[in-house]
Order: sequence, then C-alpha cells, then structure tokens
Amino acid sequence: MEKLTFENLQETLFHERLDNGLNVYILPKRGFSKTYVTFTTKYGSIDRTFIPRGKEEFVTVPDGIAHFLEHKMFDKKEGDVFQKFGVLGASANAFTSFTRTSYLFSTTDNLYESTKVLLDFVQEPYFTEEKVEKEKGIIAQEITMYDDNPDWQNYFGTIQSLYKEYPVNIDIAGTIETIQEITAEHLYECYETFYHPSNMAVFVIGAVDPEEMMNFIREDQNSKEFSEPIEIKRKYPEEPLEANKKKTVLEMDVLRPKFNYGMKCSRTIMEGSEMLRQDLAVNLVLDILFGKTSEFYTKAYSDHLIDETYHYDFIFEKGYGFAMVESDTEHPSELEAAVRNTLKSQVDNWSISEEDLNRAKKRRIGQFMRSLNSIEFISNQFTQYNFNEMNLFDVVPTLENIQIEHLQDAFSTISNVDSHTVMTIVPGSKEG
Amino acid sequence: MFKKVELQKGVNLYIRRTEQFKTITMSIKWLTELDEKQAASRAVLSNVLQDSNADYPKQSDLRRALDELYGTVFYMDATKRGSSHIITLNMECVNDEYLSTSGVFDEALKLVRSVIFNPNLKDGTFDESIVGREKRTVIERIRSIYDDKGRYAHKRMLELMRPNDPASMSASGTEENVESITTASLLDTYKRMLDKDEIDIYVVGDIQEDELTEKIKTMFNFTAREATRKQYEQQDNEVKEVRQIFERQDMKQGKLQVGYSTPISFFHPDYPKMQVTNGVLGGFAHSKLFMNVREKESMAYTVNSAYAAYYGIVYVMAGIDADLEEKAVKLIGEQIDAMQNGNVTDKELSQTVALLTNSIRSAFDSARGQIEVYDQYKQLDEDFTADKWIEGWNSVTIEDVTEMASQIHLELIYLLSGREA
Repeated sequence: MEKLTFENLQETLFHERLDNGLNVYILPKRGFSKTYVTFTTKYGSIDRTFIPRGKEEFVTVPDGIAHFLEHKMFDKKEGDVFQKFGVLGASANAFTSFTRTSYLFSTTDNLYESTKVLLDFVQEPYFTEEKVEKEKGIIAQEITMYDDNPDWQNYFGTIQSLYKEYPVNIDIAGTIETIQEITAEHLYECYETFYHPSNMAVFVIGAVDPEEMMNFIREDQNSKEFSEPIEIKRKYPEEPLEANKKKTVLEMDVLRPKFNYGMKCSRTIMEGSEMLRQDLAVNLVLDILFGKTSEFYTKAYSDHLIDETYHYDFIFEKGYGFAMVESDTEHPSELEAAVRNTLKSQVDNWSISEEDLNRAKKRRIGQFMRSLNSIEFISNQFTQYNFNEMNLFDVVPTLENIQIEHLQDAFSTISNVDSHTVMTIVPGSKEG
Repeated sequence: MFKKVELQKGVNLYIRRTEQFKTITMSIKWLTELDEKQAASRAVLSNVLQDSNADYPKQSDLRRALDELYGTVFYMDATKRGSSHIITLNMECVNDEYLSTSGVFDEALKLVRSVIFNPNLKDGTFDESIVGREKRTVIERIRSIYDDKGRYAHKRMLELMRPNDPASMSASGTEENVESITTASLLDTYKRMLDKDEIDIYVVGDIQEDELTEKIKTMFNFTAREATRKQYEQQDNEVKEVRQIFERQDMKQGKLQVGYSTPISFFHPDYPKMQVTNGVLGGFAHSKLFMNVREKESMAYTVNSAYAAYYGIVYVMAGIDADLEEKAVKLIGEQIDAMQNGNVTDKELSQTVALLTNSIRSAFDSARGQIEVYDQYKQLDEDFTADKWIEGWNSVTIEDVTEMASQIHLELIYLLSGREA
C-alpha cells in the first residue's frame, strides 16, 4: 500500500493495485461520520464499438446498453440489491455517464458488510431474458422523463449539434427503439469485456481506517477468481473540426425560451498533467470572459439577456470536450450576438491581463478547497481524473503555475467559430 | 450541538466549532410571518441586497471582491417554512489555515456587514433600475416553474389542496405581488426586516467561540425585538370527497401527484412515527412504492412519497404512462391499505429506521446540513442532537406505523399529461 500525503491540503491518500489489477484508493476524512464507497468501471455510453473478450472482431452493440447493464446489476436471483443495503442502513445508487459506470453507497454504520455487498453484486452478474424484458418498461419511462425535461434537451441537443460522429452524441440511456434490441447475451458480452477488475477502481472516503479497509478489500478480491487481464480494444470514429449543425431550434411546451451556445474543443487526445492544465486553463478563460465579474455578464444581465438560470461549463474527457454558455432568455438572438462578440474581440485582440488571471486563480483555488469538504465530490472527481491519468490533488499546484500563454493556448482550442453551435428551445407545440 | 449566545432579545448567535471542514460557513436568517405580498417583496429585497451595496455599488465590484477573497461564496435566498418566511444570507470562505494568506474570514465578515447595514441607496431609497431588474428576475423565477413539469405538477397539487394557504404560497409571492413593488415599499420591507424580524446567526468552522462572539457583537449592531414565531395552524381539512383533477400540456410522460392529508404535523408528538411511516411507504429504494410500482409492475422510473410535515400533507409522485393512471392510483392505494391493515414487516421497519438514521447523520457531514437540520429541529428542542432523534425512530413499532397509516386520508389525485392522452 502506498501512502501519498498532501501537506497543504492536510489530506492523505492510500493506494494499492491488487493482483487482479483492481486499483483501490482510500482517503480518510477526519470528523466525518459517513463513509462513501464507489466501485467504478471505465465503461460508458461511448464504448459501443469494441472487441468483446474472447473474440477477434469489432462489434457495435445497441445504444443505451451501458446504462441498461447498470440497472440490471441490481436485480439478482435472490431479489433486489437495494433490500440488502437497506437492511444495513446504507443508501445505495449508481449512475452511467458517457465514459463511466459507477456503483456506490454511503453509510454511517455496517461499513464492511456494505462494502462486501457492493463488491459482490458488481462482481456477480445475473441476467435473464425475462428480467431484461421487464426492465424495458422502467427505462422507457426514464427516457420519456428526459424527453420532457427542457434543460436536458437543451444540454444534450447542444452536444448533438456539436458532434457529428463521436458517440457522445448518443443519449446515455439510448432511445425507446434501441433498448428493445438489448438481450441478456448483450449484457453478458459487455459485462465480461468491461467489468474486469483491471478496468475498474474502488474509492473509499470518509470515516474509514485505511489499513483495515485495504486488507478487507484485498482479501475479498483474493478469494474470488478472475480471468487474466487483457487490453480492451475500443474504436471511436474521427470527429471533424466543424460543428455538426450551426443552429438548432426545438419547440417545447415552455414559457421561457432556453439558449445554449456550444463550443467544441479541437484538442482532446491527451491525458495526465497536460490534460489537467488545459482543463483548468479553459475554465479560467471562461471565468474571466463569462463569469460574474466579466463585462459580458454585467451587460447581459442589466440588458435582460440572461437571468438566474445563467451558467457556463467546460466538459473535458479524453476524446471529447465542449464548453457551453446557457441561460433562459427572452432575447436569444441578442444573447447570441453578445456571446459571439465576447469571443471575437478576444480572438482579434487578446485583453486578459495578469491581474484578471491572478484573481481567477484565487477564485478557483478557493473553490477547490471548498469542494474538498464534500466527500462525494472528491470521490467522483478523483475517479474521473484518475481514468484520464490525472491527479485531483495536483489541481492547486497546476493552477498556480498557469501563465497567460497557457490561457491563450487553451482559448485557441475552443475559439474557432466553425466549431460552434447555437441551440434554442422555444415555446410551442412539439406536435406542431 | 451549537453553542447559543443571545445577542439581543430576538437575535441569537449559534456557533459550532469543528475541524471537520476547510471552510467557515455562516448563515443569517431573518424570519417573519408569511404572507404573499411580503413574500414577494422579501424575495426581491434579498436579490437587491445580494446585487450591490454602498461599499460595492456595482455587482461586478462585489463579485471581484469575493474572488479576491479566494472565491468566497455569498448569496441570499428567500424560502418559507410553515407559516414563516425566511430570508437567508449565506457565506462560506476558506479557512486561512489552507491559504498562503490571512484575514480572509475577517474581510468576508466586513463584506457581510456592508450587505446588511449599508444598502445601495440613492436619495434615501433603493435604485430604481436595480429594483426593476430584480423584480423582473423574480417574476422569471416564478414563471419558470411551468417549464419544470414535475415541479409544476407539485405546485398545482398544493394549490388545489390548500388554496390561499401558506401550504401553497410561493416564497417569491405571485407575479402580481412582485409587479406592485415600488422602491418605497421595498425600503419599508428592508426596515422591517432589519428591525422587526427574528434573527438567527449560525457559524460553523474552526473558530474561537469567544473571539467570534465579540466580533459579531461589535460588527453587527442588531437591536432588540419581539420574537414573533407562530406555528402553522391547519384548517379543518376533513376530506369530504376525493377529487380527481387532470390537466394537460404538450408533454410525453404523465406526472401523477396523489395528495393525502394528515392531522400529524411537525409539532405533533407523533411526528417521528409519521416520518418512519412515510419512509416505509415511499421514502427509499426498499420502500413499498419502489418495490411494487417500479420493480414489480415496471410502471415507473420515479415513484416515491414525501411528507410535508409543517402542512400535514403526505404525497406520492410518479412519472408514468398517462394511460396507466388508473392502475397506478390503484397500486398506490393498495400500498397504503396494506399498511393500514398492519401489513408491514420487521425488515421494512428496520430498513427504514436505518436509512433515516443514515440520512440525518450524513446531513451532518456538511456545514450547511448541520445548520439547516438544527435550525428545523431546534423548534422542538433547543438541545436537539441526531442521537436523541434517532432514539425516537428506534422506538417506533409496526403498530405505530399501522396507526399512522390510518391517519393518512386520500384527498386529491392530480395528473399532468400530454394533450393526446
């Protein structure tokens, strides 16, 4: 077990890679009564074309399968796994993203029993055709729920308008049509390929004794049999520089139009410290150009172009990345012009100063410190970074070392207007 | 769990010293009686105070100062609880210990003082343009509920069950109430808030209690005031007939809300028993609703129950295919019938108590959670602790749950669904 101490943060991280390839991370947090445990596989909705374990040819599986698999993991021969967690007083959940599937629980009691339930249910697949069929009704309702959610439609519609080829443009849950094709055999094929311990990580944080917990997990894993780890072959299509569509308008039964300006990142094939620096640098540029201290924000808010729903974000993983500036607005075209002007004037004439940068850094450092109060944040963010070979605890030193030229470079990866799109949701009837 | 210091009559400081967090968190709560007109005015006021003040006359000045203080969080909001309306000022800054600088908390306190005592007045009143802008913002907040179908369905259910009652009032008032606000009326609201509201100040973090108390005493010069806190009184809600109301929008899924009334409210001695009962019914993933409506019948992705304890309302919400409304209502009814007939297992009961325990203990793992949970429960017991409350849940029996279930009376079935259904 290796021990990594981060003096300035007063945090200590324990890590071990077990014989079966599983990475285990443990971070004790003083004063906390809860423990949060996640068990995550590097497998999400974008992993749709791959060579299944034991085969030689690439296959493409029905959309929505990673998410479907996540649902079905909870359903065992002896009943629903939530029941087991409930008896132990642990609150369990799971989520599937574009790149990860995570199973988790939090508890203030029965930590080891709950950990055992988590490890076992994720490592003992049980799928039958009957159970798979039955789940389709539940997932269809989940998909329909998102269909009626204008914020999700605005977010995901923007991704679809940005991406022409890369499978981040496919809804994580699939569609009501694609999930009909899913069979128990598919689930086993995906499970065998992506749920090998060498493709997974366990993260334990909160009230925990690191030594004892590491021993517990090690013994559990040593008592189970696993096949040899093999390298997973996945295939992703090449994404053109241009946005898929310049403009998308969707009618929904809303009172307030919703606006989203999307910027596709042109440089995403990277990992580790280079990736962390670019991620933080893009975020700093966005803070300076679009944050609450920016000229853009001040003017757009007083001109009634944006309201309390306004926010911006940058999503970045190996293979894809996009920035978004979103708000409900009565004036989508004026808001679009304001966003475009802000970007253009920065392209034409760089105006971000040292002072802007230093203030933005201070803000981000404080925000990071604050987020270390949340064990859920640390766990999820750490795992996401870890799968991209980045270390969450490098955030502050990396931020401190960012210079103006890093910002200019980062800005150039999102500033090309050919890679931009505008999505609006306007009041009206979907049925026409 | 908090150390209480009475600063003035009606103005209390609650301090919790802990090394658990890397930040210092502060909340100041102004509490008064809820009425729609005041709610609207106070919602706009909290936005206006959040925007700027005499020391930071533009929003960007204030935001820049916060950034310089290592991204200190500052925001205000307007909420309701029972028959009270509450304006909260929230501040959170990084503890100096984790920074290469010092004095962040002191500077943040000064900024908070400016927000409260040095508003951005022009010729003795609030700036017309700022007030106009924030009125618009609050109106947009009220209107945007329509766009969130789940929230909208819930709002409609409450309006239909308890019209013109705190239970269905918005903490932002109505659009008309907001429209009618003037700079003069807003100034009046500000003065009332400052001088008449009951005030609770909370601070959580690694701080010296005595030093902090002295600081707050010198910096925040609140005057004494009468404590005005009143409990919500339920109207006579005897259910004469169950109403069924269907409304339509252009949407795909049906949003079902089933409303029940109960005489057991937050201040009732049986409140902990009803919390457990709601948990058995639909609070968790092991609960009857999840197991029978979702897992057994595959009818819904979301189905759960909630207990609006202040108003004596239990409600079930589900996202379903609108064509299956009748079946869903029947299934939901069967779960409550089963509970009324004593059909509750030891396992269901112990799972529920274990998860309630987990959720209250987990809430205490955030500073804001500590403040919000204590702020609620201190109304029942100033010496509230999670352990004491958990003891209460542990003593709930199956007979209690059965008895509580029989105190839940179906009142309204509300369905919001697509036009073609």
